[in-house]
Amino acid sequence: MTTTADPTGPTNRLPRPDVAPPGPWSFPAAETAELDNGLRVLVHRLSGQHVIAANLILPVPPDAEPREHEGVLAICARTLDEGSRLHDGETFAELMESEGAGLGVEIGPGGLQLVLDVPSTRFSPALGLLAEAATVPAFAAADVDRHVQLRLAEIEQAWANPGQASALAFRRAVYADGTRPTRMTEGEPETVRTVDRDLVAGFHARHVGPRGATLVLAGDFAEDPFALAERHFGGWAVPDQQVVDPVPARPGDRTALIVDRPGAVQADVRLGGFGIDRNDPRWAAAVIGAYAMGGAFLSRLNRVLREERGYSYGVRLGLSPLRRGGTFAVQGSFRTEVTAEALVEARALLRVDDDPFTATEVEEAIAFFAGVSPLRYATADGVVDQAASQVLAGLPTDYVDHNLRRLREVTPEAATEAYRSLVDPDALTLVLAGDAERLTGPLTEAGWPVQRFTR
Amino acid sequence: MSAPARVRLDYPIVQSRLDNGLRVIASPDPGVGSVAVNLWYDVGSRHEQPHRTGFAHLFEHLMFQGSGGVASGEHFGLLQAAGASVNATTWFDRTNYFETLPAGGLDLALWLEADRMASLPAALTRENFENQREVVKEEKRQRYDNVPYGDVMELLISVTFPPDHPYGHTTIGSMADLDAAQLEDVTAFFTRHYLPNNAVISVVGDVPADTALDRVAHYFGDVPAGPVPPPPDQPGLPPISGLPRREKVAEVPSAAVYLTWRLPPVGTRAYDAADLALTVLGTGQSSRLHRTLVRRRELAEQAGASSLGLIGGNSVGFVNGLARDGVSPEQLEEELIAEVTRLGTEGPTDLEVQRAQATFERHWLHELARVDSRADELSGFATLHDDPTLVNRRIDDIAAIGAAEIAEVIAEWFTPEQRATVLYRKEEAR
Repeated sequence: MTTTADPTGPTNRLPRPDVAPPGPWSFPAAETAELDNGLRVLVHRLSGQHVIAANLILPVPPDAEPREHEGVLAICARTLDEGSRLHDGETFAELMESEGAGLGVEIGPGGLQLVLDVPSTRFSPALGLLAEAATVPAFAAADVDRHVQLRLAEIEQAWANPGQASALAFRRAVYADGTRPTRMTEGEPETVRTVDRDLVAGFHARHVGPRGATLVLAGDFAEDPFALAERHFGGWAVPDQQVVDPVPARPGDRTALIVDRPGAVQADVRLGGFGIDRNDPRWAAAVIGAYAMGGAFLSRLNRVLREERGYSYGVRLGLSPLRRGGTFAVQGSFRTEVTAEALVEARALLRVDDDPFTATEVEEAIAFFAGVSPLRYATADGVVDQAASQVLAGLPTDYVDHNLRRLREVTPEAATEAYRSLVDPDALTLVLAGDAERLTGPLTEAGWPVQRFTR
Repeated sequence: MSAPARVRLDYPIVQSRLDNGLRVIASPDPGVGSVAVNLWYDVGSRHEQPHRTGFAHLFEHLMFQGSGGVASGEHFGLLQAAGASVNATTWFDRTNYFETLPAGGLDLALWLEADRMASLPAALTRENFENQREVVKEEKRQRYDNVPYGDVMELLISVTFPPDHPYGHTTIGSMADLDAAQLEDVTAFFTRHYLPNNAVISVVGDVPADTALDRVAHYFGDVPAGPVPPPPDQPGLPPISGLPRREKVAEVPSAAVYLTWRLPPVGTRAYDAADLALTVLGTGQSSRLHRTLVRRRELAEQAGASSLGLIGGNSVGFVNGLARDGVSPEQLEEELIAEVTRLGTEGPTDLEVQRAQATFERHWLHELARVDSRADELSGFATLHDDPTLVNRRIDDIAAIGAAEIAEVIAEWFTPEQRATVLYRKEEAR
């Protein structure tokens, strides 16, 4: 459908130009090496990228934590840069920031990462400090205790935010009851409270070592990056290191839950279920289907719920792959008075039985993913983030190119079939953070008898 | 300790201006595969009239609702189908529109941008207008009304500037003003501000400079110029006086304190010095606020400082902290002020200034690392400072500011008496 231009207004003077097909592109190639201690090194050389990115990926999943002390991994990760056997915490921070470097930590279901960004002229000293944090942290009791308290405060901040609250409740619902992924990766309050200095130091000594670890480096290097890796990590040895494999996630039973936020003007919604990972033969087709349904601005969901109805600032359907399995969910915030109506409409839109994905939808999705790759992977941090996610998922270094080839082969039939095998609109789990008193009635009537969620 | 080496930047910058006044910047980056197209229109919330707040932002939404040769939503649709990342944002000083896509899509991107610059009102309908007004209200609910501390910017602005000041309201604006808006107001806003001679376009990426300039001229050359509205009358204000204060009891997880200061406008050395002072005080783990309030004394969950650079007479500086359980907001405020006082009394050390400069260097290199953010900086420096080539010199400019100069700026602009306060107190459990 086109909007008719005002015949008296200015008319478009030039015809709409065609788009020339994009030139060949491939993910920056990795050079690899392995140090004698087992640390794998991946290097991506990116000309003109003056901020070097370096991720140290440690295969320490939350599954390595004792059940009664969950959160020890997160507290360990967050205390790594609070001082080492060589420098106290304040000095360490000064040295790192004098190099213009930023150091962070990330933990996920696959493991722990130290993440460094630094101007290329100061890469070597910053990498040395990263190595120091990973290998000889001090774990002062005061620092550990403080991070436990900060983590407890962070949990309260998370539950107070509707987007985070619905995400937390959704993970509680979408995974099998009682399994690790139903609980926060960084630990729930009752177990975080038990974490102390000795637990953290012991956990680090057992699990953090070069075996199974990967150092990914990208940027425009002034010095040989392999030599730097050898210089800063070559002497790292942890003979008793225990490597724990992540436990595959399992699906939970379908449910409908509401995190009560009395008086909230909007409900933050997750409507989804258990899904697939990037090794699944359906993955490429599912990505295309999900984009057509809820990825593009003019996707089926966003076009109707935002652009036609004005129910929301934006609605999307996202896939979140894990190493094995994954989740998918429709996400959006809707004003309270239209939430039930919007969900009924979303449920109808999600049904593709009589309305399979079209050739145009599929072509546009393929062009989108092919087109955004050069930008997304233009910088050192973009490349390293992707490479690290591949390492954590056990995917090969040429995964991006391989996946783009698979995406290009997806047919409308395959996209529809893969999507339908994942998304049964009548069997999805619904989680909301919103005003339970106002939402429960209309949602129950619409076929979602929502139960109050309790933390 | 020897001075650390700095990365030398030399991004090519070719400038031109069309007869209709459109300023064009090309910065080729051969081999990257993609091209970024970025337009800054010199209109933001500071240009809005009283009782017409939120207009610049609502208008930004309408720019995606079609124009003379483009159907509603088609701007996004065509570009995403060409592999583009697309968006727009509205801020106090400007509205920017941008897309980055494989270089073979440059013509399409320019055609779409030219079409809406030339003929937006042709496609404006009551239906689109009312739909986007609802979408904007949902945006406000989602980003401001439904999250803890979501109204903090509005409160901070209210204690920093008088209500009728161009910076006296936020970009999201008042919903009552949006409700009162008519379709004709939108057309008038377009006619007044959306002119080639009130805009800058940057083309950055895998396109030779002469091709970029030629294609821009081809698509935008006959968009008619118009009278550019004069900039808002906003001479710089002196620092805040009288310790203005807003307190709020709210359903927040932790008590919070936000302090604000008026600072010199962006584009001045004094602003850069103030920005370095705020970095020393509150950016990074070695900053004074983190070290003292989070680490040593354990009074705050987090504590930091930042600047909001603005062009019209004054920028704004912020200092903030989230109180640890059992710490009153008054105590946290007192401790934050004590650190501001100490910085003023002692001045920053040379090592602190070097760290702040090194932090800036990484931030700046990162900002210029991608074609899209590089294009945005080029458009911004052309719009605000009339010189996009400054992007290549920023690191050296910041490195030239010493501790003594920072101390002078602190004494003039950043004393405890010159602050305003916004404080959130936790609502008692119901």
